[in-house]
Amino acid sequence: MEEQVGAFWHRLITRLAEHRYPQAAVHLESVAPLLGILFRALGGDGGLEICAAEAEPHRARRKWLQRLAGTGDRIALAWRDERTLRLPPVLDCFPESALNRDLYLWLAALAVQRPPASFGDWFIHSQQMTRETLSRFPGLRSRYRRLVDAHLCLRPDPERLPPEEARQERAVRQALQSPGQVTELPPAKRPPQPVPLWLHPSPPQAAAPGYREDDPQMTPSDPRNRSLGARKRKRGERVAMPNKDQGLITIRMENIFSWSEYVKVDRSTDEEEDLDRAQTAAEDLDRVALARDRKASGARLRFDLDLPAESEDDLILRDGLLLPEWDWKRRSLLPNHCRVQELLASEAPPQPLPPHLRRTAKRLRHQFQALTPARVWQHGQPDGQEVDLDAYLRFVTDRRAGVNTHADGLYRAMRTGARDLACLLIADLSLSTDTWINDQARVIDVIRDSLYLFAESLAATGDAFAMLGFSSRRRDPIRIHQIKSFAETYSAQVRGRIQAIKPGYYTRMGAALRYGADLLAEQPAGRRLLLLLSDGKPNDLDKYEGRYGIEDTRHAVQAARRLGLTPFCVTIDERGNDYLPYLFGTGGYVVIRHPSELPTRLPLLYARLTA
Amino acid sequence: MVFYRPQGNEIALFEHAFANRLPLMIKGPTGCGKTRFVRYMAERLERPLYTVACHDDLTAADLTGRHLIGEGGTFWSDGPLTRAVREGAICYLDEVVEARKDTTVVLHPLTDDRRILPLERTGETLHAPNGFMLVVSYNPGYQNLLKGMKPSTRQRFVAITFDFPRPALEVEILQEEAGIDRTTAERLVQLANCLRALKDHDLEEAASTRLLVYAATLIASGLDQREACRAALAEPLTDDGETLNALGEIIDANLA
Ligand SMILES: Nc1ncnc2c1ncn2[C@@H]1O[C@H](COP(=O)(O)OP(=O)(O)O)[C@@H](O)[C@H]1O
Ligand SMILES: [Mg+2]
Repeated sequence: MEEQVGAFWHRLITRLAEHRYPQAAVHLESVAPLLGILFRALGGDGGLEICAAEAEPHRARRKWLQRLAGTGDRIALAWRDERTLRLPPVLDCFPESALNRDLYLWLAALAVQRPPASFGDWFIHSQQMTRETLSRFPGLRSRYRRLVDAHLCLRPDPERLPPEEARQERAVRQALQSPGQVTELPPAKRPPQPVPLWLHPSPPQAAAPGYREDDPQMTPSDPRNRSLGARKRKRGERVAMPNKDQGLITIRMENIFSWSEYVKVDRSTDEEEDLDRAQTAAEDLDRVALARDRKASGARLRFDLDLPAESEDDLILRDGLLLPEWDWKRRSLLPNHCRVQELLASEAPPQPLPPHLRRTAKRLRHQFQALTPARVWQHGQPDGQEVDLDAYLRFVTDRRAGVNTHADGLYRAMRTGARDLACLLIADLSLSTDTWINDQARVIDVIRDSLYLFAESLAATGDAFAMLGFSSRRRDPIRIHQIKSFAETYSAQVRGRIQAIKPGYYTRMGAALRYGADLLAEQPAGRRLLLLLSDGKPNDLDKYEGRYGIEDTRHAVQAARRLGLTPFCVTIDERGNDYLPYLFGTGGYVVIRHPSELPTRLPLLYARLTA
Repeated sequence: MVFYRPQGNEIALFEHAFANRLPLMIKGPTGCGKTRFVRYMAERLERPLYTVACHDDLTAADLTGRHLIGEGGTFWSDGPLTRAVREGAICYLDEVVEARKDTTVVLHPLTDDRRILPLERTGETLHAPNGFMLVVSYNPGYQNLLKGMKPSTRQRFVAITFDFPRPALEVEILQEEAGIDRTTAERLVQLANCLRALKDHDLEEAASTRLLVYAATLIASGLDQREACRAALAEPLTDDGETLNALGEIIDANLA
């Protein structure tokens, strides 16, 4: 059966290749945002991402892809796994573009249902999915009808097929017209012509022996599932795009750590088996050497990466500031535990704003200018251009009523509106930011663009703001990169420093937050926002991974709050919901699911926070 | 009596708070029924209701009162809070986080066991009678993070969280409020829940029961279903063209 299904879909591709109407082609790019919203609204998993089931222009990846998926053709399928919904990059199988677009919408709506349980009942399952979708969303019925009618015209005429195939063809036709009515696909030597209105039963490469899409024992709450899930995902990514923050091109430290943590935590299954699985997971990262390391160290993973040499292009501004750290086991603050190195990029020539950001920046500046009331009347001033009638009235009436009031604050003055607001942005520049989120950009690039747009926007408001980046190598040093201080104005110099940011070492979040909090606390503003831009959990080479780092960060957040600051975290770590409520409180963070949206969303978030 | 369909045990909670002279804070997204609930409770307890929509220019004098000039000189005019205290009424401060923190400080002596309202300008100190109750509402969510309420203010209230009514309840509410048939109401509620799934991801705000009632009302008065939904459920939620398109498709998918 598996083979048959495979062949079936292969024919779909070839057939799609035969019947093309390029003039009516609809490209996934042009409808992807729409499909995403539709998919999520109709009940699809918000974490799922829509991408083209297509090889990237990336050479190496294409080779992988061909190796894993057979021919390059196979990729143009619609299918979903637990992470992604993949749709063909172009649909041009119908002569009218409206129909091709409708097919995209239909596939996105259909994919909201669970994918087929197994290959065996795929024919039946597709009908069920169709039925279910149509009954939940009656508005799709007419669209489905149109698609079926158009598609039936393109299908072979059963009258002209040999009897066996004709029987099969009739079954497929009936299944399309009255989904749910056909209980069996009659056997034939050749598989039927494919049905582009149905989803491919599973990721192509998953046809490996022993693979089961749906193991009833693996419920989402089962921790085993997570580990395996992560692995399947990795495989999926090799076939197509690396998934946002889970790219394969560089290692994502946090993942390795979380696997190792998982090994420690999960006692429900045999330890041996766990190690096995973790081992496979690590191998998945294509760094077998690392995997060997981990094996040698037993159940725990400890290694120092081949880190770049201490970079020389950083100027050490000040060295030796000491900060405490919270030891949750001892429940005490270890004084002078971390040493801070304050750095300034020295190879950072002044920069213009990168061209690809100019349009957005312009738009944001406009929006942000509107945030600040340009000129406002301030009431109740001891001195000013005009009498404050309200205050004067109150004064006079109070007097007449025999209340003893003082004649102060009876004027109003026109001032340029200041928002009495200060914001310090702290960007995580740890090694994990070297991860690729798609073919064009790494996390660090997204952070860079975010810093640019953030600064462009805030400069337009006149709000006091500063920006710094951090990474760490154990507790010494905590590397703090100056990007813009409160005193500096946003300038080409600052842009030069933004341009110069690069992935550093690890993420000792607590120390960075303490450093930032002290800096921000010196600002006189009434409202002070401590904004952390992050891509993952706190972690470092030493015991800072796991609980220790989490507790230290939480402690630092609470200390900042006691200083009267408002800490807030913006993360692109989609697992953020697991630990951020504990660190920042439920209202104290947002998870940006699509990292590429971070640059534009960050300024808008700031606007919302400070409105 | 105003129509109110309870979501849970809020009526009992309100009554207990009232009987024990405790102030109440209602948290929840906009348009989920907070105001309607307070109106209903005021009627049920037979208390007058004073509602103040808070904003950042609201001063303490707007709540307590001020001297005004009249024909024969000046006179004192009670603000809504003062009036509520004098009459033993319910005073409802809607979206209280919008008010500046120095404004909400006037609430403090009213919200502890003293239950007094000192009026500095007239030299009076009012003692709140048993019939007086203070109710505030606010919409939690990160947008209000910096505004927040002072912990010293927050900690004076018993609190309850509202959310959008469960589908079955929301269907009844639509039927009752707009007089539409059950099937249409069910369709609308399913549509609203589709749109609510987009909150925080694609939309900043969730489609509220209030908007849903608007859509139902437009339909009941004869407007085409799709147009009504677009006007009441898509346009108010976003200005972004692409997102609007998508909301249009979601509306189309849900309406028969
Ligand atoms: N439980 C309910 N019972 C009756 N009507 C409700 C209920 N919840 C919401 N509504 C309807 O929703 C509308 C908006 O509710 P409202 O109380 O104004 O919201 P909020 O004060 O939370 O912003 C009301 O006018 C009413 O039509
Ligand atoms: Mg990191």
